[in-house]
Amino acid sequence: MVSLIRSLVKEHLERLAAGDVNLDDFAPRVIEKARSMQGRYSAFITINERLASEKTPKQQMKLPFSVKDNICTRGLRTTAGSKILDNYVPPFDATAVHQIKNAGGFVIGKTAMDEFGFGTFSTNCAYGAPKNPIDPSRVCGGSSGGAACVAAAAEFPHIAIAQSTGGSITAPAAFTGTVGMTPTYGRVSRWGLIDYANSMDRIGVIGKCVYDAALGLSMIAGYDPLDSTSLNAQKTDYTTLIGGDIRKLRIGVPKEYFNGDGSAVVKKNALDLLQRLERFGVVWEEISLPYTKYAISAYYLIALAEASTNLAKFSGLRYGMEGDLDGNYEEYFADLRGRSFGEEAKRRIILGTYARMSGYRDAYYIKALKVRAKIIAEFKGAFARVDAIATPSMPIIAPRFDDVEKLSPIDAYGMDRMTVPANLAGLPTISVPSGSEGGMPTGVQFIADHERDGMLIALAGACEA
Amino acid sequence: MGVMIGLEVHCQLNTESKLFCGDSSDHRGKEPNECTCPICLGYPGSKPVINKKAIEHGMRIAMALSCRIADEMFFSRKTYFYPDMSKNYQITQYEIPLCSNGYLTVGELKVRIRRVHIEEDPARLQHVGGDITNAEYTLIDYNRSGIALAEIVTEPDFTTPKQARQFLEILLSILEHLGVYDSEKEATIRCDANISLDGGERVEVKNITGFENVEKALNFEIIRQNGMKRMEVVVQRETRHFDAEAGNTKSLRKKEYEEDYGYIFDPDLPTIRVTAGWLESIKKTQPELPDQRVLRFVKDYKIGDYDAHVLVYTDKNLADFYELCCRKYGKPEVVAKWTMNYLLKSLNWRRERINNSKVRIDTFVEFLRLIESGKITERFAKELIKEYVDTGESPAMLAEKGAQELSDSDLDVVVEKVLQENRKAADEFRSGKEDALKFLIGRALAATQKRADPNRLRDMLLKHLNASIAQ
Repeated sequence: MVSLIRSLVKEHLERLAAGDVNLDDFAPRVIEKARSMQGRYSAFITINERLASEKTPKQQMKLPFSVKDNICTRGLRTTAGSKILDNYVPPFDATAVHQIKNAGGFVIGKTAMDEFGFGTFSTNCAYGAPKNPIDPSRVCGGSSGGAACVAAAAEFPHIAIAQSTGGSITAPAAFTGTVGMTPTYGRVSRWGLIDYANSMDRIGVIGKCVYDAALGLSMIAGYDPLDSTSLNAQKTDYTTLIGGDIRKLRIGVPKEYFNGDGSAVVKKNALDLLQRLERFGVVWEEISLPYTKYAISAYYLIALAEASTNLAKFSGLRYGMEGDLDGNYEEYFADLRGRSFGEEAKRRIILGTYARMSGYRDAYYIKALKVRAKIIAEFKGAFARVDAIATPSMPIIAPRFDDVEKLSPIDAYGMDRMTVPANLAGLPTISVPSGSEGGMPTGVQFIADHERDGMLIALAGACEA
Repeated sequence: MGVMIGLEVHCQLNTESKLFCGDSSDHRGKEPNECTCPICLGYPGSKPVINKKAIEHGMRIAMALSCRIADEMFFSRKTYFYPDMSKNYQITQYEIPLCSNGYLTVGELKVRIRRVHIEEDPARLQHVGGDITNAEYTLIDYNRSGIALAEIVTEPDFTTPKQARQFLEILLSILEHLGVYDSEKEATIRCDANISLDGGERVEVKNITGFENVEKALNFEIIRQNGMKRMEVVVQRETRHFDAEAGNTKSLRKKEYEEDYGYIFDPDLPTIRVTAGWLESIKKTQPELPDQRVLRFVKDYKIGDYDAHVLVYTDKNLADFYELCCRKYGKPEVVAKWTMNYLLKSLNWRRERINNSKVRIDTFVEFLRLIESGKITERFAKELIKEYVDTGESPAMLAEKGAQELSDSDLDVVVEKVLQENRKAADEFRSGKEDALKFLIGRALAATQKRADPNRLRDMLLKHLNASIAQ
């Protein structure tokens, strides 16, 4: 099977191998292109203007990467999309960034996102919302909106390092027609990732095609003693799995993901894609995952409980935004946090704090953990029968900015219903384009059992054939 | 109901690195904030990694206090905003502590241990221009931030402040013998004490350093609360701060309800499973505990139970010193006598502990040999030891110096003077009253600051007395 999608990354690597790339001006030219892209789509919070002054020889800057702005880059401003970290320059690289730099990658800039990852559309942004390159009146999806935007718009070889907590890779990948890979929880070290909900946060990749995503994942995956939840697994070259044998793979189609609200075209495109996969020997069947309906509630309770503790450290004392040292400690940090956090961040801190207060903790936080255990068990049961589960990536195509504004927070949270269950369970997922609706891309999401990331790459590869 | 006292003891554990990062726990001679990194400063993107050694230290404490060790344990985030907290939450153990349901016997009293858990120490605050309630500003030193602590919580089983202090002294000796606590690294043990009178509300006194202060703070509280009762003022539930200089406690905050720390499981730290093999390896290497050591001292060194207690419980290093001296010198009874009586007295007088004094095993053994050889008298030795503890110089040299200063002609002068000043005693001796000689020897000895050999003085006195009879 041969991929019908051109990989600029693959072609670039081939030219590099042949010595056909002038590395002396390659990186500066890419930065120039990123700058011009920024004018159109606001995909970046920070473009790496310091690249020219970096000590790394130009000859070692071979492959451009963008990095979501909640992933620490040494010496390069990292805000996590929040004003409270406006001036924050990390003293260390995230392990994922360290790995891409070691493998000849370089960082062109830090991509736009919802503040701390708090959003589904990349509209809760302190530094401007990225615009969808296919239709700039529409959102990119969130929270890794900037990452997907660069992946979709780049006319140069590029891989986006993105991150998901509840679907923040799948959503923007689907909305921009790119490939988003969210690996098994623990496959990529979280060291250097600014936490949203640590028990779900995962670093992954977005690329124009499966090859780009597979290459990116191969570069950043691996055991890391600095992250206690890191998976002790062998390094794999995931690109070699593309085109692998997928005969007899069984795919489950959960009716709960297809029955509810949402675009009929999105659903149909997903099912049509599955039919196209039949020619490779893939079989599919309807399954049922009844606990799915509790996933959104459980997700938001756990994620926000964790987030509300994670954000406690931002008090204007050691790093980030500082205020005038007036009043006592409590007055100082309350004022600074009040001024620096956005509305959604405040909402989530309050909700998350509420869920873990004594008197409510058992009813909300603890109960949500029990639901989570049920959902994981339900997935495990399903994977005894099927190899992968296919769902629409998002219930709808990328909405217009003005339509997003009309959504209540609860409606907006509900948009995560396709992605949240797998994120609660730490399962690997990949989102690939499944077709289009009115000129906008639609996506299908495949979910696999823990550590079967490689099988997902093979399956996704077949979707491009 | 009477007085009910419970203790929470926070002991800094003797691990090389901090609980969740690689920074040194030992910040002797370091600048403030020198032993810090992104983890213990709570930098964005940093993650904790557990130091297994701290868990093992906790397991040793658990075994020494006969606690039940949990099969599985995890860490939680205790959230509250305070400037000594780098993350505004503390990583601690909440639902399931490392161990629970133990006890420690203090004399006749069996003190129940509710739980022991492991947590990270907050930073150290330095209040400038006042105390915690009214300082002009406060400096923060994160060197302490993230050091491993064991929190040992008792049931409210003490009925007197003195019992609480005795418990702490025994506990300290256990911690030192286990090797989990090392006072020489400027490690600290801090105490929170809660106390209620006659079933009244519980008052908590926070952050008391020093066992003497625990007793003082509790005594102050009993007097204060009794005073309130007499004035018919109801004691309210509150947290108080002990001011060691003033010797009193001050209200920090009223506690109308249990503080709400909004605990969640720390998702960065996976569950720790305590396997049978792990427990066994700790058990096998568990050091000798102080009560076992006392029994061994009595049995092997043939010293009294009281002496053994003093040697063991005063300071683990003193007991170590004693044993090393015995090994080098032999005669454990003699070593015990000189160590626990005279050496300890001199150390206490100088407010020193054996390990930060000038006393060394070699020179102390030299001192014991001087006595044994008869080169110095015991009486002189008791004086000499003070000078030795003061200076740390060779006892033989010190003795020689002392002896040189007292030549025969020196003693002639002394004896003559003593006889002049005590004519009555001299006359009594001459008229046959033997006891008068003892008195005169005592006077002469005192006149030489006990440096002279009493036998030599006796001879000298007799010479002078006989000479005068002959006249």
